[in-house]
Amino acid sequence: MNYPFWDIPHIGSGWVIGMIAIFHVMISQFAVGGGLYLPLAERKALRMTDAEGRADWLKQLASHSKFFLVLTAVFGTVSGVGIWFSIGLTHPEATSTLIHNFVFAWAMEWVFFMVELTTIAVYYYTWDRIDPKLHLKVGWVYAGASIFTLIIINGILSFMLTPGDTWIGVAGSGLEASKFWNAFFNPTYWPSLFLRCCVCASLAGIWALITASRIDGDKQPALKTSMVKWSVKWLVPSFVAMPFLMIWYYAMVPASQRALLTLGIDTINSGTFSTVTRMALIIIVTSATIVFVAYFLAYRNPTEFNLSHAMAVLLLALMATGAGEYSREMLRKPYVIGRWMYSNGVRVPSVAKINAQGYLANSEWVWNGAGPGIPTSHYSRGEAIFRGECGSCHTLTGYRPLQHLLEGRDHANIGNFITMLHENKADSPYRRFMPPMVGTKQDVEDLTDYLNAQVNPPVAGTRSLLTAQK
Amino acid sequence: MTAKAVLIYDWVDDRLGLSELAAFARHKTVPVHAQSFWYYWGGISLFLFLVQCFSGVLLLVYFRPGAESYESVRQITFVMHFGWLIRSAHAWSANLMMFSILVHMFSVFFMKAYRKPREFGWLSGMALLGLASVFGFSGYLLPMDELSYFATKVGLEIPAAIPLIGPAMANMLRGGPDVSEFTVQRFFALHVVVLPALFLPLLGFHLWLVQKHGNASPPSEEAKPIFDRKTMPFMPNFIRKDLAMWLISLNILALLASVFPWALGKQFDPLAPAPAGIHPEWYFMSPFEMLKLLGSWLPGATGEYAGILLFSIGIMLWTLIPFYDTKKTSGQRGRAAHYFGLAAVCLLLATTAIGYWTIR
Repeated sequence: MNYPFWDIPHIGSGWVIGMIAIFHVMISQFAVGGGLYLPLAERKALRMTDAEGRADWLKQLASHSKFFLVLTAVFGTVSGVGIWFSIGLTHPEATSTLIHNFVFAWAMEWVFFMVELTTIAVYYYTWDRIDPKLHLKVGWVYAGASIFTLIIINGILSFMLTPGDTWIGVAGSGLEASKFWNAFFNPTYWPSLFLRCCVCASLAGIWALITASRIDGDKQPALKTSMVKWSVKWLVPSFVAMPFLMIWYYAMVPASQRALLTLGIDTINSGTFSTVTRMALIIIVTSATIVFVAYFLAYRNPTEFNLSHAMAVLLLALMATGAGEYSREMLRKPYVIGRWMYSNGVRVPSVAKINAQGYLANSEWVWNGAGPGIPTSHYSRGEAIFRGECGSCHTLTGYRPLQHLLEGRDHANIGNFITMLHENKADSPYRRFMPPMVGTKQDVEDLTDYLNAQVNPPVAGTRSLLTAQK
Repeated sequence: MTAKAVLIYDWVDDRLGLSELAAFARHKTVPVHAQSFWYYWGGISLFLFLVQCFSGVLLLVYFRPGAESYESVRQITFVMHFGWLIRSAHAWSANLMMFSILVHMFSVFFMKAYRKPREFGWLSGMALLGLASVFGFSGYLLPMDELSYFATKVGLEIPAAIPLIGPAMANMLRGGPDVSEFTVQRFFALHVVVLPALFLPLLGFHLWLVQKHGNASPPSEEAKPIFDRKTMPFMPNFIRKDLAMWLISLNILALLASVFPWALGKQFDPLAPAPAGIHPEWYFMSPFEMLKLLGSWLPGATGEYAGILLFSIGIMLWTLIPFYDTKKTSGQRGRAAHYFGLAAVCLLLATTAIGYWTIR
């Protein structure tokens, strides 16, 4: 379309975002939850009447804040920038739409982010150097700033799933930004915000268990017991509220997307269309395990809770977070921005135009009509269409490999399949997950030739279909 | 406990002697040292076996052996609600169980836990490993898709290569000269009746021995004076950690079964040529590759005979190791057994790697 295609062989560009995003979410949500954990824990310590206990708690919190600073301010920041790079390259059309709508929101988020970075540095470096009450205030400023970053980014992320009727009504008119608040407080905003708050609190407790598990239970049993028990309590909001919040979230998701959750109940259907169901299973199993381990191994036996136990809980949290974020992404299918832009960057209202004019005629970065002095493209029209229309979700040989998924089909069969995707009829089972194949009849034939050449490679000595349609 | 609960407990205790069991569990301890991690692998194997039983019973409800095998597995995978999940959990837990049994076996070997008085524990464990392998082999054929059909065909070439009795034995297993629906019925009977009937009492015997003799400490730990050795109570400390390992195993299983659901290939066609890359399951790859290598080095049937002989001798020596390395102190025989174990690990890993490397 309007931007060049970012080709990542084997894993696909989507997974570059996925890997960075899952890592980032683990840390950024800790930054929010942990931001609240630190001042609350410090306040609790300052109110302790036992001087020795208070000193131990404050020393442990100082140590935890160092870990917090390094993890959130270094790895969180770097991975956050990594997301910007990767989404800009993988989904330039969608990123452009988001920037045009939410540039003000992002500007606000960056302000809060700068406050976060500054205050956490001040908070760590001023332990025992400024008045404890002032130090605690710095912690509260950090907590407030980090919560605001969540409040803002949640509006943008939930918008991508449910932009809302008001915004959709003006989308494409140039007046989209005038409906900023409608887009921001979209139908899934509130359930999503509360869900994320619960996850943040849980991650604060889980990460705190990492540092608390390193306290020597033989030498400091009282400190370890109180620290571990207090950290486990941070998992309680999730344990109690999460099921209700999930139901609320589920109710606010459009019925067409809700159906994706149930697709995997009775079939694996090559594994593709049942992803949301399968990811939901992982979330349930891992979350239940975290609760069991946190209660039986940590809360009931705090002094024996060691680093390997804490790492196991963290790993489970990583699995649950990864599965949760992946499901959230998959729940948007076949769109990247609900009802407005398909996952391959094609805008919903543009389908008729592209079907009339051709896909490549609307692709600025493909020089498909070589003229005098202009070098010919090193790849065919079919490959260009494959890259643009299929490449956001499929690779040829790696992740969701088309060579494997189309295996056993001949040229005619592949052609029929692509025609079915092109027609995108109401009863097509692929409609729920996949965008329509857009373009002219020639585009359909070119893509068919290209994919057929990949699935059924031409016999040596015959004319290659890879370049036949140039 | 409430008064009513105490009454119920006392009633049961009078008849079953629960207090004695509880007292036994309270006094039992487990050594704590740098290698304690390996103690959990037996429990993990047991947990995965329980998953096998549970998921196997659920599959049994819909599976129809014989000519309808493929169709019934297709229905389980694509029609029944969460049938794909149960089948994936069954297949994945089988593979994970084989893996954990192998880890358990090698950890027992290198910690010298086969020495007196644990010889029967070692022998029963080896028998359980053998039965688990046959469980895997017989279960693999049941879907009767292209891959399982040809892999079984290839796998049965191993017993068929045994001199004199091999061909007759392979014919008996197949129910004829070729793998067919009769083979599925035989393998099914083996998989759900014969093998459990052998496996369960043997497992009970193995677990009883573990309880009777307790966990063995490695020689480095036994060399320490008694007051320098650390222990933890079996109940509740070890049990709690064991259950945590079960939970972790369950999560790994759920992850594998959900992210990589077990595929079902095309229905088998005995007249079609074998698809490229047919190979046995990973735990049979090593003997398969050894046979293949020796078959290519030695002329005619000599290679196959040599391979089977070599493998049989290797397994026999491995099984009889408690009667060779008997002394508590690690002398010359202890060191020789250790090197034998290292050589076995290297050989298994190398031949398995070559096997996968050379799949065509």
